[in-house]
Amino acid sequence: MTALGDLWAALPAAAQDALLLAALLSPAPVLAALLLRGLSVGGLTGALLWRFRRTNLLFAALMALSVGLGAAVIAQERALRQGAARAADAFDVIVAAPGDRLRLMLAAVYLDPADAPLLRGEALARLQADSQIDLLAPLAFGDSHAGAPVVGSTAAFVAHLSGPLAEGRVFAAEDEAVAGARAPVAVGYSFTPAHGHGPLAETDAHDGVSLRVVGRMAPTGTPWDKAIVTPVEAVWNTHGLANGHAPGVDRIGPPFDPDYFPGTPAFVIHAQELWRAYAVQARHDRGDMMAFFPGAELARLNALVGDVRQAMSLMATLTQALVAAGVMAGLAALARLFGRRFALLRALGAPRRFVLAAMWSYAVALVGAGCLAGLGVGWLSARLLSALVEARTDLALAPALGWPELHLVAGFFSLTCLLALLPGLAAYRRDVPSDLRETA
Amino acid sequence: MPLDAARSGFAPPLSLRDVAVDAPDGRALLRVGALDIGPGEAVGIRGPSGAGKTTLLHVMAGLIRPARGAVRWGDTDLATLDEAARDAFRRRSLGLIFQDFLLFEELSPLGNAAVAAAWAPAAERPEIRARAAGLLDRLGVPPGARGVSGFSGGERQRVAAARALAADPAAVLADEPTASLDRASADRLVGDLLALARERGRTVIAVSHDAAVIAAMDRVIEVADGAVVAAGAA
Repeated sequence: MTALGDLWAALPAAAQDALLLAALLSPAPVLAALLLRGLSVGGLTGALLWRFRRTNLLFAALMALSVGLGAAVIAQERALRQGAARAADAFDVIVAAPGDRLRLMLAAVYLDPADAPLLRGEALARLQADSQIDLLAPLAFGDSHAGAPVVGSTAAFVAHLSGPLAEGRVFAAEDEAVAGARAPVAVGYSFTPAHGHGPLAETDAHDGVSLRVVGRMAPTGTPWDKAIVTPVEAVWNTHGLANGHAPGVDRIGPPFDPDYFPGTPAFVIHAQELWRAYAVQARHDRGDMMAFFPGAELARLNALVGDVRQAMSLMATLTQALVAAGVMAGLAALARLFGRRFALLRALGAPRRFVLAAMWSYAVALVGAGCLAGLGVGWLSARLLSALVEARTDLALAPALGWPELHLVAGFFSLTCLLALLPGLAAYRRDVPSDLRETA
Repeated sequence: MPLDAARSGFAPPLSLRDVAVDAPDGRALLRVGALDIGPGEAVGIRGPSGAGKTTLLHVMAGLIRPARGAVRWGDTDLATLDEAARDAFRRRSLGLIFQDFLLFEELSPLGNAAVAAAWAPAAERPEIRARAAGLLDRLGVPPGARGVSGFSGGERQRVAAARALAADPAAVLADEPTASLDRASADRLVGDLLALARERGRTVIAVSHDAAVIAAMDRVIEVADGAVVAAGAA
């Protein structure tokens, strides 16, 4: 057992998944070999399938819908989890004033508006003095334009988030801005940011301020694609605050002067090496600051909703089981309808196994068609769901049917193949003269 | 063995001895003291409705195993065989025709006539199909029609007759084969069936209310109140 366990553990994950899939599918070929051996049921089964094609199509379509939706829900949940994790990749460590880490993580990574206490100059001084930090970028939220959040930060943060820009250049002056890949503004466009977000945003609060879009970021697959990033100094100036630099200093970007630092709800930190990121997080997660890994918060969130995920999987499995039961009930009814045919076959000398094989292959053809079509429905449903979720969250999702869905469908197929023996066995045991007489 | 006998041109004799069939509630359905049918005979079974004619035919076919007695086709006593063995005997040695045709509507005439090929050993399938096609041709049924649902009663019963003979059985058992046919179709069917059976020395046993069918047989068996009351010339 240990040797087998070791061998199993040594296999690549894809090989384990493929073997599990093969194991889940194995009952069908084994049953087919046992039942169909030496018989030629294809002609009769095919003719029956054709004769009752409308009913069969309805059966298969219902099964496809159920199988597909079950698979799509699981695929979608995974795609959402992966998309959310990808969005947090660029945010190694977030530093903020003590408070709700999850709330801050949602605000910084997913641009979900939130009020947060500000970190002041002392915090800035400590962070700027940390030689293990490669990128230190303040994030200043609160404004918007045409539904897109306007966030103040630094040119280095834009480069870190986007890599090479898709269009134009990074801002070099206080009145310039860079648009996210899907932000509703074009390069060259000038705008006045509104104070706040959504329908309550005050569009005239910053009258007199004009920002010009000079570049567009490459797509990141995150809510930042819809944002407009400006120099953080622009946000501070717009709100009548100090701009982070001593009077007479005519530049934008770090380093900032702690004495003229008006405050920021959060800093994003990037360190080239992981161990340095851990060191930075440990060093600054104390006293009047909290430093945390957004990925860890996301994992905590995923763990919190893990039960929901399991419940969803269980629901999907239960749905498949109910559909299987429904299919079997339908097949049992069909088997009774076929009673006279089966009695005739027996009267003509067909072995009982032939009747069982005919009923079973009929059921398996229906279930197999339903499962195959269900994979298509699942793929399509996952795409549609993802489009809806993408539109709502701005997260780029990559929905695809993966091994868990294939395992679910394969398990459903095999379970149904086994259950399909029941109506066949029921037909197998019926009294031939009675069926010939009663239904004649 | 019956199949070998059939293939070599000899149908085995049928003999029933002290046969008793009871209903589940214990009521007597059929009692047969002694009944013999010789190889290649054409025998009609007649009697009032509910007399036990079909039950007698089902006993002869091995569809019903009697509570007591012997049902011997040559050396094979169906009463001692289990269901699987009786199935095997039936598919090797007997052809059945039913009152209301009992065709597979979804199959072509040839598919119906050659349905036994579906469970026959692979080596025998081409022979069964070829024989079925030949029989359909001889009986005047187009074998390639898509289905049989548009067929007349006479055509349907001719397909059923081809099906009964396609596996070259030793005997054909028919239950009211002409009951759903008009006179002309009935006469044609019985004529064809007897001619085909006699050519190969096969036994024909037909339950019928139709005096013309009974008259075409070599002899007749009378059944009344669940018992064979007479067995003589037609």
